[in-house]
Amino acid sequence: MSLYSPPHIACRLFQTVVPVRYRGALLGDLVEEYNLRAEATSASAATRWFWGQACRSIPFIMGSSLRNGDWLISVSTAVGVYAVMGTLKLAADFMIAKLFAPGPTAFVVLAPIVFLAFTSIGGCAAARIRFGTAVFLALFVMITSAVQIITKACAIPVPWWYEFGFLTLGPLSVLLTPVAFGVLKPNSNGSAT
Amino acid sequence: MVLTARFLFYIIEEMKRGELLGSLEHIILLALVRLDGSAHGMIVRREIEERTGRKISIGAVYATLERLEAKGYVSSSTGDPTPERGGRAKRLFRVEAAGKRALQISEQTLHSMTADSKGSWETI
Repeated sequence: MSLYSPPHIACRLFQTVVPVRYRGALLGDLVEEYNLRAEATSASAATRWFWGQACRSIPFIMGSSLRNGDWLISVSTAVGVYAVMGTLKLAADFMIAKLFAPGPTAFVVLAPIVFLAFTSIGGCAAARIRFGTAVFLALFVMITSAVQIITKACAIPVPWWYEFGFLTLGPLSVLLTPVAFGVLKPNSNGSAT
Repeated sequence: MVLTARFLFYIIEEMKRGELLGSLEHIILLALVRLDGSAHGMIVRREIEERTGRKISIGAVYATLERLEAKGYVSSSTGDPTPERGGRAKRLFRVEAAGKRALQISEQTLHSMTADSKGSWETI
């Protein structure tokens, strides 16, 4: 039997969401079935089937993890990562202000770069612990951004899409950076997942 | 009739909290029993799909098997990794005595509930 490679992004999603306890077994089953289907039909039909399984499995697995109480550990670790991330960002903002003393225009340009850099790093750190942590961290980032928009924390007048960018891109960078770079907790076999 | 009702209440009282099976738990346990009491997740998924026509995701199967294992209704063992599985090992699930008893109780409960009322909903 010739071996086909299943869709990389869907595999990454599974590796990200499925608890370590049964991640290897579930992915193994999927890859085996994918190969059988690719052999029997075509690689594209097998890929469609694989993506179908991903779309239907992931909400169920996440719901199940929440019901199992895994979310409590995820929330507490997310709070920890959020606190560290927030402190480091404040320190970075302070350093930039001291070193460059940016004017309002430079600040408007620098702020999203620093923000996205920290949310990406925070997302990677959180996902390295467990993916649920990254989900809650994304939620915290979204809430913080929303609060800052509502309370008009930024004194410099900026267009609505600028603020909207923080609200959407922040949480997305927390979730997508670890998936894109494969920075996830190693599974029981020791391979980086 | 009175006896049946008493029997039903007796069973319910006898059941420990959490012993009532959910619908997916019930189907997955039945599938495992049909597969000679032991199988891995994808085989269970295929068996359910073939017998019921119900599309079920592999994630749902594994999450439910995990729950059943936590309840002591199934146990699992790990096989050898194979190249067809991308070097990953199979996890074989086996129905335990507690799982068979839970199935028995669920079947009895369903039977007790449907015994005298089948006619009323079968005609709908």
